[in-house]
Amino acid sequence: MINPKNNLIIGIVVALVIAASVNINANPADFVNGFPKMVKIAEEMTKVDSKLFQIAFSAMFETIQMAFIGTMIGVAIALPLSILAARNLNSKWVYAPIRALLAMIRTFPSILWAILFVIIVGLGPFAGVLAIIMYTIGFVAKLQYETIEAIDSDPMDAISSIGVSKSQLIRFVVIPESASHLLGQMLYMFDYNVRQTSILGLVGAGGIGYYIINYIQFFEYGKAAVFMLVVLVVVLIIDWVSVKIRDKFIIKSQRGLEMKVKQK
Amino acid sequence: MQMISTPLTKISTKTIIQMNDVWASYDGKNSILKEITLSIDRGVNYAIVGESGSGKSTLLKLINGMMNPSCGTVTVDYQIPNIANKNFKKIMSKIGYIPQTLGLVKNLTALENTLMGSLPRVDKLKSIFNIFPDAEISEAHKILKMVGLENKMERKAYQLSGGEKRRVAIARALMQKPDIILADEIVSELDHVTAHEIMELITEAKKRINLTAVMVHHDMNLALEYANRVAVIKQGEKILEIGVEVDKIVDFQTGI
Repeated sequence: MINPKNNLIIGIVVALVIAASVNINANPADFVNGFPKMVKIAEEMTKVDSKLFQIAFSAMFETIQMAFIGTMIGVAIALPLSILAARNLNSKWVYAPIRALLAMIRTFPSILWAILFVIIVGLGPFAGVLAIIMYTIGFVAKLQYETIEAIDSDPMDAISSIGVSKSQLIRFVVIPESASHLLGQMLYMFDYNVRQTSILGLVGAGGIGYYIINYIQFFEYGKAAVFMLVVLVVVLIIDWVSVKIRDKFIIKSQRGLEMKVKQK
Repeated sequence: MQMISTPLTKISTKTIIQMNDVWASYDGKNSILKEITLSIDRGVNYAIVGESGSGKSTLLKLINGMMNPSCGTVTVDYQIPNIANKNFKKIMSKIGYIPQTLGLVKNLTALENTLMGSLPRVDKLKSIFNIFPDAEISEAHKILKMVGLENKMERKAYQLSGGEKRRVAIARALMQKPDIILADEIVSELDHVTAHEIMELITEAKKRINLTAVMVHHDMNLALEYANRVAVIKQGEKILEIGVEVDKIVDFQTGI
């Protein structure tokens, strides 16, 4: 903080946060006044209804299946789109419209896609799956075309200089060189989609969120807590598994070495 | 007054690569190469020596059409190296190019990297599904055996040592059944023994097929040992070209 300019910038940022809070009526006093209610909710939540665990697990299983289908199909559609959107492989006339389309898809959060698909295909998990597919396409395609644009240009030059076709170049250089990133993105997306799908039930698009929102609406926090606990446990398990998969397949191939994890 | 027309440069039928007064630039302002004129005969082992940044790598890119000269002409087998030139496209598959960083696909095996040399001549659709003719696969096995990698064919490129990676890059180039091999500082970062092993490998391959090798070197001694001809490039200009006979060095410019 030697530079007085930095202090000025911090001062401005703090002033902006306060001004915006006043503007939208975000009053910290409300939080303090509402605190007893939070204690009450926490107390209610400890009254876990253990009979509901079976339903919670089957609802979670449905959620995982939805996320799995959505991730796989979304990635399968995103991959060819990402190849078309990469600037180092296509002319402006190809990548620019594809990028615009992907940007449009990303504008909607998955919950809005879910509302849209509930209207189109009706209530239930299928609407949720379609929402997850759209969301996955928008994000994976973006992450993947950025990866493709960043791949090492030397193998691309060496192989294209011998006169191979573009499809061969994609098959033998672009896809293998970006495959480990794609696996990482799939894992991340699945992880993310499980959490996303957990809330899609809020709009009637299937999954465990349907139960959570219903119990909360009727102030049955103890019952909602069962479902939230199951979500927590499953997300932690998925997180742990994806770390293991990453260590085994991704980090090694990216660095060409086995990563040494710091041991305590 | 009688007009006598004489061709600017005599091109002998032996010549495979010809450069006439070639200038090259990446930005249109600073010339990387200036006034380069050279002709390389079929079957010759041609070495280009110079300091880093002297324009050696650029010279190779002019030969395989990855770059176009800003001035002057380049011909390879009487064709202008340019991807837009349809006649050159046929020649491209016969020019093996080994960049300084080798250009291997690190997540593919030594065998797959080698098979890539056959991509221009195999069925496009089948190759996409990783189906190669048996003859090509056994050819790749044969070449990998020749470069001493018969036990490491299934290793991923990133698992190989520096010397082994160079062997794979050579195998890929040989898989093209090339007429010309362009190699950019292929032995620069290697220890003495490995560097000589790699150079012997190329010399050995040259004996089997009528191959023209254009190799960029950092080390003059290595160039003199293996090349028939050596061109020295300094700051983008060819300052010397020498022919290496069995025991004597002939300066082509002075004839001594």
